[in-house]
Amino acid sequence: MTSSAIISYLTFVYFLAFVFYLVMMVMGRRLPGTLATYTLLGSFAAQTAAIILRWQESYALGMGRAPFSNLYESLIFFAWTLVLLYLIVEWRTKNKSAGAFVTPLIFLALAYASFSPNISSKIMPLIPALKSNWLITHVITCFLGYAAFALSFGFSLMYLFKGNDSANNTASFLRLIPARGILDELNYQMVVIGFLMLTLGIITGSVWAHSAWGSYWSWDPKETWSLITWLVYAAVIHSRLVRGWKGRKIIILCIVGFACVLFTYFGVNYLAGLHSYATS
Amino acid sequence: MGHRYHLLPSRLRKAVMEEIGKVSNPVWKFFASVKLTIVFLVLLAIFSVAGTMIPQKEGAMEFVQRLNPTTFNLMDFFGLFDLYHAGWFRFLIAMLVLNLVVCSLERFPSAWKRVKARPSVERTKPFEELPDTLLISTERGYQEALGNCLNLFKKRFSAFRSEETEYGTFFLAEKGRFSPLGVYIVHLSVLVILIGALAGSFFGFEGFVKIPEGETVDSIMVRGGNQSLSPGFEIRCDKFTVEFYENGSPKEYKSEVTFLSGGKEIEKRDILVNHPATFKGITFYQSTYEKVAGKELRIKLRKGLDEDLETIDAEIGKKMELPGKEGFFQILDVRHMGTVPAALVSVEIQGAEPTRFWIFEDFEHIKSRLPAQMINSPKFDPAAFKPYTFLLLGVQERYATGLQANQDPGVPVVWAGFILIILGFIVTFFTSHQTIRMFVENKGKKTVIRVTGSASRNRPALDRDIQRLAEDIRSLFAA
Repeated sequence: MTSSAIISYLTFVYFLAFVFYLVMMVMGRRLPGTLATYTLLGSFAAQTAAIILRWQESYALGMGRAPFSNLYESLIFFAWTLVLLYLIVEWRTKNKSAGAFVTPLIFLALAYASFSPNISSKIMPLIPALKSNWLITHVITCFLGYAAFALSFGFSLMYLFKGNDSANNTASFLRLIPARGILDELNYQMVVIGFLMLTLGIITGSVWAHSAWGSYWSWDPKETWSLITWLVYAAVIHSRLVRGWKGRKIIILCIVGFACVLFTYFGVNYLAGLHSYATS
Repeated sequence: MGHRYHLLPSRLRKAVMEEIGKVSNPVWKFFASVKLTIVFLVLLAIFSVAGTMIPQKEGAMEFVQRLNPTTFNLMDFFGLFDLYHAGWFRFLIAMLVLNLVVCSLERFPSAWKRVKARPSVERTKPFEELPDTLLISTERGYQEALGNCLNLFKKRFSAFRSEETEYGTFFLAEKGRFSPLGVYIVHLSVLVILIGALAGSFFGFEGFVKIPEGETVDSIMVRGGNQSLSPGFEIRCDKFTVEFYENGSPKEYKSEVTFLSGGKEIEKRDILVNHPATFKGITFYQSTYEKVAGKELRIKLRKGLDEDLETIDAEIGKKMELPGKEGFFQILDVRHMGTVPAALVSVEIQGAEPTRFWIFEDFEHIKSRLPAQMINSPKFDPAAFKPYTFLLLGVQERYATGLQANQDPGVPVVWAGFILIILGFIVTFFTSHQTIRMFVENKGKKTVIRVTGSASRNRPALDRDIQRLAEDIRSLFAA
């Protein structure tokens, strides 16, 4: 079985995990939650194997390169980092409610990669600009950042769902979501991780661009959009210092921030620029 | 209530006056606001978005033609076609920097005070109302228990202070005292990066050289202007190669170049994408390539229009005798006109003006594309020198490599800023100022040990550490 076949099957397994999380939230039972976590762990292991397999396949084709170089591969890797980060958060917080908000993103990323007619899953050789040791560090840091921001987006949605008077909430769906104070703290931690990783991603990209194109910053749309994202999350971090800005205002900035992440990732492809190889 | 600053010692008075001066200065107060920071960050983000939506610089050419003159003039006035270099955009960055500097100066003294502060070791207050888990009671004698606790504390913390009183001994260890300074490292690094970028734009240049294989250039075209610059050395392109994958996409571009000084070879280097070469402070990057005509060509001579005389391998600048010994001819130039190779022939007869005309490899093709009066002009007549007709059979082709040639003295500064910002983030987000306290109390027959602590951030992590310390002490006395 080829790596891309495994990935397309996994799309459905992630959807199954989402259904389990949703049932857990609605029914307020323990069993679907346990099933969800094990489904997620299993598909994570399978996806890891698929990524390694794809790496080997590229060697078999005589190219021998890390599987991080086009939109298909980046979506797979994005989903992978998101699952990894989510599993760590679930394990550390002992709370599964975020799963219902994060698994749809994983499912969507894989579904888009596997089933969009515009995305090719073929293993293509690296063009000269991508032949660099910076490729792996740049992609890993950027996508860990994106994954952390996606989790922050999940926590922001949960914050808005939770509402103010949690004491009166009898619906298990809302009862299982942690208190707003905890969500705020978790969201902040994700923003901090994402911000650090995005900064590293911009720095590695910058050093790379310097050796590939002769300039560490050239206001290319993708560069600029990553800076825009950086500015928005810098605003999020600073807004915690402003008295009375805990909560809603920060949450809204976080949602704007994630919209910027999505545009940096997908939207920029519709603008001309140096990063055009990431479009197909 | 009246202020009596004159009663204070002069140094303190000066500090207080400065403090009041700062507080009452409205400009200072305005720029010391973190709310303003958020406003500037969001504004910069919004304008940067605009810059990605409006075509910029060279890309704006086509867009501009669709605008009416008023809109164009207005947009041009605000520099919207080169937004990131517009004065007002730079001004906005400068304002953010000012805000960052003022905010940092405003808050740094109190952070520094926290770093320098030495909390007193002998304090009983932190040990009040502790949960039972952090309180260990043992039947062992005070001196023995104290010795045991001291050893454990020593193993745990490399540096700590202790104070002995008549009722017990206090221990205090501190970790991450410099944690509050992390944010200032980050702010400083932003300044360093921007200083590096400024240095680059003032003292650096971005240029370009196009070198056909086998040729040497000694000047660089500077981008954004028509001047060229002499780097003080020469660059020769020895060879250019391009490789393709089976599917036709490019695999590798390589320029083999030699750097020369006064005609003397100094250094040979290979320049590839992602592998630039630096010589005397100027870095050369593989950028583009094109096919150009080489120096060698093959021509055929005819008498009249259809009697073949001979086929000659010619070279630019090499004089050759005409078959009828009337004089000489030579090729002055070879180039591509559009895609068709062309050569400039010069026929030179003693005592007469030279006859010069262009010949083409595919004359029929050229004929169909050029206006009649041009074709009929003697400059394009292959039979301009009677009785001969010159035919161009082929031109040797070669590559010309296009190298970006940049000098940016700001780069090491920017790199230093990058390292500094990473360090600053680690200190800010992943260290915390922790104080861990232990109190070994002498209660005659019993000895009571208490542990507690405080942290500037990530309190749960500290709580876990304290809990573990208490467990270790308990197991020490259980044995």
